[in-house]
Amino acid sequence: MSPDAQDRTVEGDRPAAGPPASGTPVERAARVAEVTEQHVVRLDRDAAFPVEALAELRRTRLLGLMVPAAFGGLDGSLRDVVDVSEALGRADMSVAMIFAMHCQQVQAVVRYAHEPLRSELLPRIAAGEIYLASVTTETGKGGHLRSAEARLHEDGSRLAIERVAPIVTGGAQADGFLVTMLSPAAESSHQVSLVYAHRSQLEISGTGDWQPMGMRASHSLPLTLTGSVPGHQVVGEHGAFHEIAGNVFGPVAHLGWSAAWLGTAAGALSRVLKLLRSPAGRERFDLRSELLLTRLSRSRQRLDGVHALLRHTLAMVERQESLAAANSQLLLNALKITASEQCHAAVEDLIDAVGLRHGYLKDSPTRLELALRDLRSAALNYSNDRLHLADGRLALRDQGVHFA
Amino acid sequence: MDATFVDLLRPFLKGAGDVDITPDTHLLELGIDSMQSIELLFSIEDTLGIALPDEALNETTFATAGSLWKAVAAQLPAGTVTA
Repeated sequence: MSPDAQDRTVEGDRPAAGPPASGTPVERAARVAEVTEQHVVRLDRDAAFPVEALAELRRTRLLGLMVPAAFGGLDGSLRDVVDVSEALGRADMSVAMIFAMHCQQVQAVVRYAHEPLRSELLPRIAAGEIYLASVTTETGKGGHLRSAEARLHEDGSRLAIERVAPIVTGGAQADGFLVTMLSPAAESSHQVSLVYAHRSQLEISGTGDWQPMGMRASHSLPLTLTGSVPGHQVVGEHGAFHEIAGNVFGPVAHLGWSAAWLGTAAGALSRVLKLLRSPAGRERFDLRSELLLTRLSRSRQRLDGVHALLRHTLAMVERQESLAAANSQLLLNALKITASEQCHAAVEDLIDAVGLRHGYLKDSPTRLELALRDLRSAALNYSNDRLHLADGRLALRDQGVHFA
Repeated sequence: MDATFVDLLRPFLKGAGDVDITPDTHLLELGIDSMQSIELLFSIEDTLGIALPDEALNETTFATAGSLWKAVAAQLPAGTVTA
């Protein structure tokens, strides 16, 4: 057992403490951001999971943002996920990514889970009782979403799970897991099933340490999951995970992550501007410096570009029934690639703008060095290299270059 | 517009000479460019101990002495404004 997992009860659920919050999703997010700000420095230093922010996500019922009202959820839209992820990113990228990835899992359950799993799970997510983690990585295939190596085994009416995952964000805290595995009858590595496992249905052992450059509060441990679940806990059809990947995982991830990254860089820019405009900042910096003004401009320009692309892509996803067309996929991938590069570059501009003291030291109120380390992961998290390969092939399918 | 505010404006309005500064005084036409408007903003914030909200920091606010005063007065503690 990992140290964090040891003191979990068998049931594994943590009730949402305190009375449920009210307000719009963004108003609720502001309360989570406030709690996040109080702990951000310590959690980065200790590479520890943001348990306080998670408790606030439970209390504000934002964990149930994507759950339909019929199941007691906030009945939120993808636009709400984007808005909340951006707002949380302004405080801390790890918390924003944890939230965005949870929403991706919930959306998969909402759209693809069968009864009785739907009715068992969704009210509990809505009540803030279940934080969902994603188990899609696998040794040997990296983050490649649409293939799997470990096979699900049918054991009477149950499905046996034995799965090693090199990176599970929030694995020590999660109350439930959505796991990709090779379908029981698979004839190729691309017939993948998605299966839900409650924490109490699994033996979970941690097999390593988490000491990354950035995203330290995401506490993404290697885990081994062993257990069995009733057959009805498969989400979608056996072997048809590619459908969920294309319709839910891809779009929600690219939109949610990009919003988290934009929020991270926007928060950094905002803190820099507050510093520059403060009386102390105005003594330290020459606000007439053309170099400083140009660097501020470049940083802001990059973020306006990402913001526009994010909102345009969101509008496409809202508008279109299917995202199968090459130009739709290209736009979704372009958003992820562009946001990962430009948000990181915007923070680098800011570091050059304010220099060593406020750009490179940990104790600066700008938190630029944390933002830069966190944002460095963006290009690697579902690697841009892999997306470029996919985009090259997709581009060949659209000779006329029809933009989505 | 109170006297402190008018005194704050005067050094930025070289083009105004000795002309009275009234609410209709057009700041842009009297030479306040975008950089000077930032410096005027700092001067106002430091002297009066207030902070103008981001949404007030637009061209309309900085168009005339009167429009700027309106935004400034909104941030002053109640009872301190002498129109």
